[in-house]
Amino acid sequence: MTTQTVGGREPRRGLPDRAFGFLLTLPALVLFVAIVLYPLIASLTTSLFNQSLVLPGRSFAGLENFRSVLAGQFWSVLRNTLVFTGACTLIPFVLGFGLALALHTRLPGRGLLRGLFLFPWVIPGVVVSFLWMWIFNANYGLLNGLLVQLGLLDEPISWLGQPGTATLAVIVAKSWASFPWMMVMLLAGLQTVPQTLHEAAALDGAGTLRRFWHVTLPHLRGIIGVVLLLEAIWNFQHFDIIYVLTGGGPAGATTTFAVSVYDTAFKGFDLGRAGALGALWMVLLSILVVGYVWASERGEKR
Amino acid sequence: MTVTSTTRPIPAQDRRSARTTPRRPRRPRPVAAAVTVALIGVFALGPVYWLLVTALTPDSDAFAFPPRLWPRRITLEHFANLAENPALLRYLTNSVIVSLTTALLTVIVSAYTAYSFAKFRYRGRRSLMYLILASQMFPQALLLITLYLVFSAYGLLNTYLALILSFSTFTLPLCVWMLKGFFDAIPDELIEAAKVDGAGQGAIIHRILLPVSLPGLIATGLFAFIRGWNDFIFALTLAGPDKQTLPPGLVNTYLGEFQAAWPDLMAASLVVSLPVVIGFIILQRYLVAGLTSGAVKG
Repeated sequence: MTTQTVGGREPRRGLPDRAFGFLLTLPALVLFVAIVLYPLIASLTTSLFNQSLVLPGRSFAGLENFRSVLAGQFWSVLRNTLVFTGACTLIPFVLGFGLALALHTRLPGRGLLRGLFLFPWVIPGVVVSFLWMWIFNANYGLLNGLLVQLGLLDEPISWLGQPGTATLAVIVAKSWASFPWMMVMLLAGLQTVPQTLHEAAALDGAGTLRRFWHVTLPHLRGIIGVVLLLEAIWNFQHFDIIYVLTGGGPAGATTTFAVSVYDTAFKGFDLGRAGALGALWMVLLSILVVGYVWASERGEKR
Repeated sequence: MTVTSTTRPIPAQDRRSARTTPRRPRRPRPVAAAVTVALIGVFALGPVYWLLVTALTPDSDAFAFPPRLWPRRITLEHFANLAENPALLRYLTNSVIVSLTTALLTVIVSAYTAYSFAKFRYRGRRSLMYLILASQMFPQALLLITLYLVFSAYGLLNTYLALILSFSTFTLPLCVWMLKGFFDAIPDELIEAAKVDGAGQGAIIHRILLPVSLPGLIATGLFAFIRGWNDFIFALTLAGPDKQTLPPGLVNTYLGEFQAAWPDLMAASLVVSLPVVIGFIILQRYLVAGLTSGAVKG
């Protein structure tokens, strides 16, 4: 870079700099193209072909895969995914917000508590599944034990063996693993609410609840939108906890898009239908992603 | 404002007078906070307690119904069982190798990328940033359809490399964002001064930028390690039993061969979680900042 040393402090970000700056991103770009972009496009293309995971070759099928998927599992999978996404976004939000507000006070030991509450979120998803599988166990499970002892249940029930309770179990497990992230994000948000605003509102006679409604909430609107959308995006494509806890069962009651695409491709070996289902999944997901980008762009401008 | 005024309930007259005489606002009373924490805390930490108790309870007690909330006897036999299982030790070795390499590769790649995003201005930079960030939005189950075929075509199925490449790529976005935050904080003047002194671009990165942001690099590496350690779907699909990491390995072992060995499984769950928990205790300070900026700045 002799031009710079000779010229001293002249063009700060000259042309060679820019080219070099771009070159720095090449390793990441190569990984991105090879592991994300190409597989994405190729997987979506697969939806137009009859193709097996284990047999070589493929034949063009037009929209046949889409027709077959839309006439088959699509609607039940969509319903399952929407129920899962909705519940596992709202429940952790309520729990996380409650904890964030509680830990934003002078509660003794709040630092330690905040650390402890992170545990469900940091541990691997499979451990979350193992733990709740054990708690929901039909024969020796903690939940059945407690409910029978309290007289709320006459006899143990097979939580993971029935469609309704299995859905509930999956939602409970995922919500348990997600609320700490909500708590951390909202706590960080609460710390940005200027104390002077609270002081001014209190001067005008606003109580705790009114200050929450008129000062805290409006100030957190941006971050609340972002965490809700981000959590919804993650839930919409969540795989680990569902797959290990119920495997999508019983009778497909907890089969979401992630589980269905995975099973169609790697258990049914039908890449064409998996691709078609995946393409429909991507379309729905991109609505959430566009909403997220819009919300975070707006947040940045403010 | 004194501490007592916030903890003790204030009589009605006092509250009215508080409205007329200006005073500093009270934060929500710790009583309400304590109740909230206690209620949600049972749901949040009860299962963790149960994980610990089951892992430490002898089989005869663990399979009692109704379950014993407070263990009568404590044993470490379940942890000993783990050490005697050669398959589990193999999964553990795989996890360590793959996660460490992932951490190293991710830090190197994301450091260059983050430096570019933080300190250079060129056309397409913003689009590139969004592209990298967007890669975590694509559903992995869908990408796996082709990734499986690609890795298969290059003979990479059931290799560490397949796992390392996929873990690194999906950890990259957040790591780039974390490091960009660190690099943004480094004053431009420092880099300018080095240029004036005749330092080339390589020297600026390797002798100034990286040493100055060492804590950030360590935090990022730890984060990438954890992501690799926790991954399930890639290791499940792209590797067989001899190259699989602990998460799919535990599923193979305890939901297949040793079905219903619950106390052993809980002990194994604790062991898998341990490095992650320790990592997060170290990371906590950086993590909140990193995640917040990553999520909010989008």
